[in-house]
Amino acid sequence: MRRSRAAASAIALTAVAAMVLTGCSQKSNQSTGGSGQTAVGFPETQDLPPVAGKPGGTFRLGITEPTAIDPYNAQESEGILVNKALFTGLVNVKPNGDVYDGVASKWEPNADCTAWTFTLKPNQVFSNGEPVDSAAFKRGWERTSAKASASDVAYHLDEVQGFAQMQDGSASTLSGVDATDPNVLKVGLSKADCEFELRTAAPPLAPVPTVAGAADNKTYNDMPIGNGPFKMDGPWQHDKGIKLVRNDSYSAGPKANLDAVEITITPADTGIQAEYDGFNNGQFDWARIPTPLLTQARAANESKNQWISKKTAGINYLLVSVTTKPLNTADARKAVSEAIDRNAIAQGVFQGSQVPADAFIPASFTNAYQPGVCTACKYDPEDAKKLAASAGLTPGTEVNFQFNTGGGHEEWTAAVKQQLETNLGLKVNYSGVPFKDLLVNEQQPNATGLFRAGWTADYPTPGNFLQPLLSTQAIGAATPNDVANGDNRGRYSNPQFDQLLAQAAGTQDVAKRNDLYKQAEKIAIGDDMALIPLFARQQFRLANTAKFGNVNMDFWENPTLSEITIK
Amino acid sequence: MGRFILRRVVQAVLVILAATLLIFLATFAIGDPFASSGEKAVPPDIAAANRAKFGLDKPLPLQYVIYLGNMVRGDFGIDFEQHRPVAQMLEAAIPNTVRLALVAIVIDILIGVVAGVIAAVKRYSFWDVLVTVIATLAIGIPVFVIGVVLVANVAGWGPFPSVPRSFTVQVPWYQEVLLPAFTLAIIDAAFIARLMRGSMLEVLRADYIRTARAKGLSERTVIGKHAMRNSLIPVVTYVGVSLGVLFGGAIITETIFQYNGVGYLLSTAIVKSNAPVIIAVVIFSVVAYVVLSTIVDILYAFLDPRIRLN
Repeated sequence: MRRSRAAASAIALTAVAAMVLTGCSQKSNQSTGGSGQTAVGFPETQDLPPVAGKPGGTFRLGITEPTAIDPYNAQESEGILVNKALFTGLVNVKPNGDVYDGVASKWEPNADCTAWTFTLKPNQVFSNGEPVDSAAFKRGWERTSAKASASDVAYHLDEVQGFAQMQDGSASTLSGVDATDPNVLKVGLSKADCEFELRTAAPPLAPVPTVAGAADNKTYNDMPIGNGPFKMDGPWQHDKGIKLVRNDSYSAGPKANLDAVEITITPADTGIQAEYDGFNNGQFDWARIPTPLLTQARAANESKNQWISKKTAGINYLLVSVTTKPLNTADARKAVSEAIDRNAIAQGVFQGSQVPADAFIPASFTNAYQPGVCTACKYDPEDAKKLAASAGLTPGTEVNFQFNTGGGHEEWTAAVKQQLETNLGLKVNYSGVPFKDLLVNEQQPNATGLFRAGWTADYPTPGNFLQPLLSTQAIGAATPNDVANGDNRGRYSNPQFDQLLAQAAGTQDVAKRNDLYKQAEKIAIGDDMALIPLFARQQFRLANTAKFGNVNMDFWENPTLSEITIK
Repeated sequence: MGRFILRRVVQAVLVILAATLLIFLATFAIGDPFASSGEKAVPPDIAAANRAKFGLDKPLPLQYVIYLGNMVRGDFGIDFEQHRPVAQMLEAAIPNTVRLALVAIVIDILIGVVAGVIAAVKRYSFWDVLVTVIATLAIGIPVFVIGVVLVANVAGWGPFPSVPRSFTVQVPWYQEVLLPAFTLAIIDAAFIARLMRGSMLEVLRADYIRTARAKGLSERTVIGKHAMRNSLIPVVTYVGVSLGVLFGGAIITETIFQYNGVGYLLSTAIVKSNAPVIIAVVIFSVVAYVVLSTIVDILYAFLDPRIRLN
């Protein structure tokens, strides 16, 4: 998953006040309704009608200093913002998972989805004139996966044959990638994946020209030459800014309208506040908003159509150690889930800026979202007590509950603790630890109880939630006594679920695949309650729609730079 | 005199060595910077590759010796985040911080000395009380309050550039430096005013001032030429030390004004647990402080021979 640097600690301040004012124990009467949709939370906004593009204009925004903008290591949404402006991969994606063409005009897997053929558009060039052919992709992929590159995001390529050999340094070419025909890229996978094309939209799978050299080429790291709708105007000025200008030789899609994009680097710890200040003082045309100021920002900007509110591909949940007592039964986990009043927390702590989750697969996947599939996500303290009794979760039972400090999680986790104690009489061992320690604690074979967790998807597919967080393979431990090195640190394992995922990975038909994902979610969340969904991820932005048209949020929660036009 | 200087220089080197060791140990006591870097576990082989690259697989004393050796050659290693040479990052930040420090010191001295002299000469008058009250308030107000208030109300107005502003907006350095320098200067100016007032009052009581007055010199000459000069000595010491502190970077002020100096570099590095940058900035701050205070000591010894004898 991509990292978000945003310090959310500011939440803490208003949260305290909000809890005092609203009373955190307030009962919510909002029914979850037949559709499972709740009335809590800021409504989503519709995209404004598209505007005909015309060349011109400079779009300005602030981001914190990215780790990298070079494809081999671009990772957090800031780095991806710059990278996607500079590079176009084989395909492009929409927030809901729809794929459209990038450099490739056609892509198709073989019958069992273990080999993919991408047909490239002819005469594609980098901004320095070098051809964007199949070799350029092979070059980029090898540069990302090479051991010497030590890329943080090489895992995007882990399904490609020969990846392991690249990572351990025993090979210098990706054996699964065939670039003999410059117009055709053939990719062999080590496991079936009928959605592999989604991965090719990720920055580490971008093509690079020969001038890129190795991953430690500082010149290229700071001034990547790409094939995207924009190109660098001078090297990255570290801690100051990045200036992009339109790439007039762009031919993989419609040319950008904007003359330039000016990206100013904001402070690492107060970057969101700086973006918001910059929007208000007229310096920036796009901004995130500090959580405590969301209500105020919405009030000031919604009527001017400058307020963007979207559900995105992410979820905040409680990771549960499902193999150790006391939460090793589905009933025990459902009891915990039903004892949590998500609506009260959403209103009391988050002032309506968070939406209670009623499913695990987010609503942004319009074709796979199952409202209400998490039957135990509704607040029902009476039923919770019954379930708890049948599961041996008697009053006085000790349950561990850990969260990471420094992320603004203190207040709402405290509310959860209080609700569990009030509604189930549990003795909650509640503690905040640094993020790294939380991770280590979750990994241990004897880990027990609940852990705060969040997830945002790398690729717009439900599979990117189900597979890494709930599949047996993603536990990453050879035996139950080993440390869990994967992302499924709750160690949920259900052969039926794994079987459905494997089947989905080998299913080419999107509708059928989504159906399999739905079945899998029904088992893991609806029946087994393998983890406890709490709040769906929702993002808010301010955009200068008075001056610019077509300003929307893309899958990575960034502005759609290549479409924005001056009015 | 030569021996005195030598002694001070040796002391300075020892302080710097001790400081580097402490910060080195402190930073690495935090733990392995590659253990994990987000909500996704870093694959063990990638973490290992990173550790090898940064020499973290060697024993700690050896890491320290390697680091010192490189440091003497001006090599502070590469940072964890972007693998950039730390020396280059420092090089870019230092001139900004030096400018900020010098402007702040000039504002300090101008406000502090004038206010202090007025307060001393017009002792117990309305002006004296006003200076004392304002100085006490200024010392009491946290620097971030002044900074935040200035950013919210003054930045973007007249000659003062907006904060934040798009990085392509060209602003001459002397405009950019004004508000942060003023923020930094307020507390020091208050101290200097208090210091100046005290030492001025002491000097004004001295015999030679009475003699000067008895000679029939104008009050202006007595204050300006005879009294002020001698009462400036403690102020000079304070300014020297203060400059040393300012050269080390003003974390809060630089961050509030998003001013690309050493302090901003440090605050960013701390947020990202970027150990090589933290170590380098702290070492630079220590060196700046020790060097300046050593120079002040030596100068002081020239000015006042009694120091040496002690």
